[in-house]
Amino acid sequence: MDVSKDTTESAAMTESSPDPQANPQTGSGFAGPSMAVAGSAGQGSVKRNRGEGTVELMGLNAYYGSTHAVRGVDLGFAADKVTAIIGPSGCGKSTMVRCINRMHEEIDGARAEGQVLLDGLDLYDSRIDIVAVRRAVGMVFQKPNPFPTMSVFDNAVSGLRLTGVSRGELDDRGREALVAAGLWEEVKDRLKAPGVGLSGGQQQRLCIARALAVEPEVLLMDEPCSALDPVATLKIEELIGELKQRVTIVIVTHNMQQAARVADTTVFMLDGELVEVGPTEKLFTTPDDDRTEQYVTGKFG
Amino acid sequence: MSANQHSLLLDRGNLKRRNRFNKAVEITSTTAAVLAVVVLVIVVGSVFLKGVSALSWHFLTTPTALFGESGGGISNAIVGSAIMVAIAAVMAIPIGVLVAIYTTEFAPPSIAHPVRFVLDILNGVPTIITGIFVYGLIVVPQGHQSAFAASLALAIIMLPIVARTAQEVLTLVPGTLKEAAHALGIAQWRTTLRITIPTAAGGLITGSLLAVARVAGETAPLIFLSSIFGQGMLTAPGEALASIPIFIFRSSESPSSTAHTEAWAAALVLIAFVLALNIVARAFYARSRKRMGA
Amino acid sequence: MVTETRTQYQEELERLEASALDGLNLVSSALQRTLEAVEHQDVELAQIVVADDDRIDGRYLEVHQSLITLLATQSPVATDLRLISALLHVLKSVERMGDQCVNICKVIPLTGNEPPADREMVALILGMGKQTRALIGQAKRAFAERDVEMARDLVRQDDFVDDLNRECFRLALDLGDDADQREWAMTMLLAARAIERIADNAVDIGEQVAFVVTGLFREFEDASHPTT
Repeated sequence: MDVSKDTTESAAMTESSPDPQANPQTGSGFAGPSMAVAGSAGQGSVKRNRGEGTVELMGLNAYYGSTHAVRGVDLGFAADKVTAIIGPSGCGKSTMVRCINRMHEEIDGARAEGQVLLDGLDLYDSRIDIVAVRRAVGMVFQKPNPFPTMSVFDNAVSGLRLTGVSRGELDDRGREALVAAGLWEEVKDRLKAPGVGLSGGQQQRLCIARALAVEPEVLLMDEPCSALDPVATLKIEELIGELKQRVTIVIVTHNMQQAARVADTTVFMLDGELVEVGPTEKLFTTPDDDRTEQYVTGKFG
Repeated sequence: MSANQHSLLLDRGNLKRRNRFNKAVEITSTTAAVLAVVVLVIVVGSVFLKGVSALSWHFLTTPTALFGESGGGISNAIVGSAIMVAIAAVMAIPIGVLVAIYTTEFAPPSIAHPVRFVLDILNGVPTIITGIFVYGLIVVPQGHQSAFAASLALAIIMLPIVARTAQEVLTLVPGTLKEAAHALGIAQWRTTLRITIPTAAGGLITGSLLAVARVAGETAPLIFLSSIFGQGMLTAPGEALASIPIFIFRSSESPSSTAHTEAWAAALVLIAFVLALNIVARAFYARSRKRMGA
Repeated sequence: MVTETRTQYQEELERLEASALDGLNLVSSALQRTLEAVEHQDVELAQIVVADDDRIDGRYLEVHQSLITLLATQSPVATDLRLISALLHVLKSVERMGDQCVNICKVIPLTGNEPPADREMVALILGMGKQTRALIGQAKRAFAERDVEMARDLVRQDDFVDDLNRECFRLALDLGDDADQREWAMTMLLAARAIERIADNAVDIGEQVAFVVTGLFREFEDASHPTT
């Protein structure tokens, strides 16, 4: 995760620790800490300003009525990383992801048990405000779903409007989100045009901008490219690579090549259970579990 | 491919019969459709032909003449109808839309289904019964007819129409939009207000306009509730007001042929209004469907 | 829940593996003929081996192309990906083994019709060849059966070949001062060296077996530089 940052900081510490009094005087002694500060500040401007964005599932079970969709999953999602979840249809991967922003419980008869920790805080704690959870954990859906009554710009800031953000700040944040979603250059001349007038790929990036505008720590993507053509898909994948600098990304995908292309870590699920978690290259070259092997090589699915 | 396989494609003897049956069904259904259109054309055409001669600017802008005199118009009836329908709309549309929002957005199915059923029954109640009900409720205690009483009856007639069409339209709003709003942390009421209703707006307007068009020509309840009114231009809803349906009803009862022509002219005005509302409603509906990606 | 899919792809992959491993049979028979040519100074047979190498090269190109197509169209992963990668290595080894046979066959005419052959040395080279053919067979079987232990054993077998090769070298040094005989011995050393390389290639194939099975790629031992 933040290994590089940690090492610079600890290096700076060891450098200054022998003689903290004298160090600020000497130019070279000062260079270490000041660079570390500049480094972290530079990172902070693109990165979240609140927590780290580490998500941990502990003993997570999810149900639809009597259907046990997710069975006792323990799993961590590292900040600054893209984690892909693969598995055959109905294996519970979408359900598991929807437990992270508590969208799962929106469905009648659905419930979840266990813990979902965001930077150590249990999102299922009774004192937690569900609205705050949704803002900390953004989501992008299968089909692009910009709000049809809103313009491109209004779509981008639609999540912000309810927080009493000032007009001027709204403009900045909306623009920033559109830039982050790689859409600004394409839409800057038609911000007032309807969001649904954009192409499918642009609409999906608009939805990503909409999710980013509220500055979440985690971004969940539920098969975000399944309705897009290959070129639009590649653009989104490219974008995911850039976005992992600022949010923890969890992507559910049916497309194993997509998981292989975008994810640092890949998770394989089957029948609601976690089968294997590992670095993507490991999972796609030498998986440990036979079921993973059979699934990724297409022997069943 | 062998000859054997080709033989599967050959006529097994009933091909001609099937073709004839197809043709018969096609002709009957086409005839039915043509008939419906012909009926409408005859109704609108005859109303137009019989009424257009009496239609004039004077006719539209002059109140009804005193009994026995000619040269009067229907301005008081137009205004009366407008007032009553407007009050009815103000009462029925917000309540109808709210009922629809409750059943589609908030109520569990165990409540939404009975509500829908009740609305369907209300829609089926003959309007004369609604009229009698309001008569007993308001006119009898007050001792006199009033436009307000008529409006209440019209509102009761409008309510299920507005609510049912609004329900249909609101359920058409894609669930993915509400889902997106929830995932952004937008509260349920705000989602309904900012996302669902604007998206369905066209359809909601359509339903309301159709309900207005439906009650504008409603006659039966008005006979009980607002048929004994004074001369000249009246506008106070506390008393009975003239209306186009009652004007048509009265004039057609009259022995005078001039009055008959005036009844036709008033009918033409009413039918034109209803047609115009329907056309506008269709336009809104088309816009709404486009928005919801249907 | 488990339904068989991609059967055509799996069949194609199996066919290509069989075809690549069959390349080892081609090499084995080429080596057999090469040894005969060495034993009898048979220039014509040597020429046949040289001409026949086109078959090995053809096999290499054909299977290589099909594997690349499979990579491009089927996006193989996991064991399938490791297998394809390994097969590409195997093909390269097969092609090189064939070339080594050609190298040996090309030097045979240089030794003349009635060379001052040293029986002991010829016997050594034939022994090397026999041992190497056994290695090729064992490499093929280890690959087909995904038997890592059998593959590892190739290193031990290869040590015998290396020993024989060193023995050849020692013999050549002791062969006396006759210029013709020294020249003959030189060409025989080239042949011995080529056979030794073929055996190394068989060991390389063994390493690929371990890669397919375990996903770990490392040389069993630095077989390309025998310790002298």
